[in-house]
Amino acid sequence: MTSNNPSYVLEAQDVAIHYGGVKALDGVALTLEKGQIRGLIGPNGAGKSTVIDAITGRRPLTRGKVLLAGEDVSHLGAVQRRQRGLSRSFQRTSIFGGMGVRQQVELASHKMGVADSAQDAEAVLQELDLARLGDAIAGDLGYGEQRRLDLALALVGRPKLLMLDEPMAGLSVQESLDLARHLKALTSRWEVSVLLVEHDMDVVFGISDAVTVFELGRVIASGEPAAVRADPRVREAYLGSAA
Amino acid sequence: MLAVNLFNGLVYGALLIVMSSGLALIYGLRRVVNFAHGALYMLGAYIGYTVAMHSNFWVALCVAPLAMAVVGVLLDRYVFQPLQDHEPLNVMLVTFGLLLILEDLVAFIWGKANYSLFTPELLAFSVRFMGHDLPAYRIGVIVVGAAVALGLTLWLRFSKAGLFVRAASTDPVTTSMQGVNTDRLSAGVVGLGSALAGLAGVVAAPFLSLSPHMSSDVLIDSFVVVVIGGLGSLAGAFAAALLLGMMQSIGAVYLPEVSVLLPFIFMIAVLIWKPSGLAGSRT
Amino acid sequence: MAHLLRMLSWPLLALAAGAAIVLVTRSNSLLGMFTQAVIYAIFALGVGVLLRQNGLVSFGHALYFGAAGYGMGVVLTLGWMPAELAMPLVLAALGAAAFLIGLVIVRVPGIAFGMLTLAIGQMAYLLAARARGLTGGADGMSIPWPNTLFGVPQSVLLKPSVLFMVSWVVLVAVAVALACLLRTRFGAITEAIRDNEERARFIGIRTTVPRALVYALSAVVTGVAGLLSSLNTGFVSPENLHWSVSAITLLMVVVGGFRKPMGPIVGAVIYFLFKDLLGEYATHSMAIFGAALIAVIVFSPDGITGAAQRLFQRLWQQKKGEGRA
Repeated sequence: MTSNNPSYVLEAQDVAIHYGGVKALDGVALTLEKGQIRGLIGPNGAGKSTVIDAITGRRPLTRGKVLLAGEDVSHLGAVQRRQRGLSRSFQRTSIFGGMGVRQQVELASHKMGVADSAQDAEAVLQELDLARLGDAIAGDLGYGEQRRLDLALALVGRPKLLMLDEPMAGLSVQESLDLARHLKALTSRWEVSVLLVEHDMDVVFGISDAVTVFELGRVIASGEPAAVRADPRVREAYLGSAA
Repeated sequence: MLAVNLFNGLVYGALLIVMSSGLALIYGLRRVVNFAHGALYMLGAYIGYTVAMHSNFWVALCVAPLAMAVVGVLLDRYVFQPLQDHEPLNVMLVTFGLLLILEDLVAFIWGKANYSLFTPELLAFSVRFMGHDLPAYRIGVIVVGAAVALGLTLWLRFSKAGLFVRAASTDPVTTSMQGVNTDRLSAGVVGLGSALAGLAGVVAAPFLSLSPHMSSDVLIDSFVVVVIGGLGSLAGAFAAALLLGMMQSIGAVYLPEVSVLLPFIFMIAVLIWKPSGLAGSRT
Repeated sequence: MAHLLRMLSWPLLALAAGAAIVLVTRSNSLLGMFTQAVIYAIFALGVGVLLRQNGLVSFGHALYFGAAGYGMGVVLTLGWMPAELAMPLVLAALGAAAFLIGLVIVRVPGIAFGMLTLAIGQMAYLLAARARGLTGGADGMSIPWPNTLFGVPQSVLLKPSVLFMVSWVVLVAVAVALACLLRTRFGAITEAIRDNEERARFIGIRTTVPRALVYALSAVVTGVAGLLSSLNTGFVSPENLHWSVSAITLLMVVVGGFRKPMGPIVGAVIYFLFKDLLGEYATHSMAIFGAALIAVIVFSPDGITGAAQRLFQRLWQQKKGEGRA
């Protein structure tokens, strides 16, 4: 069912990424509504990160389309998608190790065209409890702090769409829950639509409005958290008896 | 006129095959762009010259590459291996430093005069081919180039060591985990590559004169060949070497002003289109 | 206000130091060597800014060094315009050409970039060596500087002390200009690109144009050195374009340390100092620099200035520790 429905802030239609004989994504369809948090779950290698790469323009599509508010952005680069309000964080922390914390967040805000980038940056740093580390060099930060910085670089500049690739990776249970609460509050306050890839089931089912399940590059189930959880195909493929 | 130029192009191409295969092998295994290769070529030529002056050319042909092989093993053991975790550009600069040192060493030992090595008597005749007189020695150079190309290809394809080299060039970590002694393998390959440089030097000596600057010219052409062919790809290097030799000699006839620029223009074009070279897959 | 004064104090001190050198040095040949060192320090600053801001190693910057000289030579010989006008125009032309070249080549990664610059540089060298006619081919060309430049007569301008002072002032000006530029938003952008090119794109930075601009900037700085050199010697030849010149300057940058703004300058000074001190061993200078290069890369990859900084930091920590205890 393809539709260029502009009420979806994000739509992926029949997205496929093939390379070297591997079908990383094989005909994926996804939608995201305004202000919605959609969780993406699935076993390792199921294609969750690849979907984010496809949507943000990090990897070229073999087939299919990516639409932002009805506009086909499949051939646009990462910079242009960012300018349309699409922002992402990285599974493997990707920050500017040699620059100051405040400096890089402010730069990211400035690049999004925010008038008062310093204020915007400060606000985001406060939200993620990084303000006191503002003058530190990013490379000197601890692992958890660096992950929050990675997130800050994505959050700054009031993005409309946020793609989060395993933001909780490596964090403790308590840190994960805190971060999840933060994200839920932030995104509802700023009306950001979120695609969240995560392994932690509690987090995903706790904050998502909708969940999509991946397996082997395909979507095997999609819908409200409770329904997905109860879906026998999902239980069999992924949740097993843990759910 | 054209035929003679084509022939000379083949000769230079063959020389480049011998030079650049060594460079390509070393890059493939150690990810090092080896500036010192030019110095090895030069050392090979000078050592060959000295040996030939005291005995004959054929002994020199054996001794020089062997001597360079030893230098190569030492190079791998004491330079490439300890520095393998450094930035590739830093290692490249280190090899450049070595080039400077070795050039000075040659000038110090042999002096700055130009030397000439005479063609060995056995090959000091001409062969009549298609209405032209082709020097037998130069035909010999082509034979050497072809032999090296063939020998290396067969060795890589069919021998156990060759298999290890191909594996280690692609994935050094996994290969060493499989029990292959990659350090010993590298020493062997760098030794082989250096021997090839030395061989090129001795072979070139009779028709290119010896001077402390001889490393630069051939080195740059070899870089061009290896980069165009694809860093690390032997087949690419062979093809590019022949192409380069041809281009320079044909160009000398039809576009004499521009002919020297052709290799560079070609390299620039290739690099811009495909930064990893024509056949290469890594930069 | 105090901040501004502090910022100005360094350049003013530097200028004063230059004047002091002139007053103290009696020997003209020594001054001549100093002038050469200063010119190469500017050259090294050009190569260094490319390495520092873009993380790119160029083996072909001698192209811009020699091209500036050839540009002046051609323009003045053909009498197109007065020298005072020609100088900024030649630099502007170099910058524009470098920007266009940069747009294409900065996209090529790592070692391939180095090889590209080597190729472009050598092409320029070969062209210059073979082109007979106006540029004199392998013999080079002399540059017909006018009798007065900016109102100063040649007899005054070409005095070793004046040449030195002029070069020194230019060095200080270039160093200050670079330092200021890199503190701007542009500096932050290029630093981000060099630090993490992928993330830079994902926060909305178009990476090609800023890097090409840095390349053009490095070319112009190198061109300034080339201009000064052509004034100093009155001559330009294909040797100014040879890749060995680029490589030696790169050597100065690495040995001095490219991370600190002073690094390339320190490297150039050390090079010339050694060359002079080596005296009878000067014929082996290249080998010694080769060894120095290797030593620096193995033991202190951020050069002499990097090692000096670490030493000072350790001494400072020690002092602080002692103070507390």
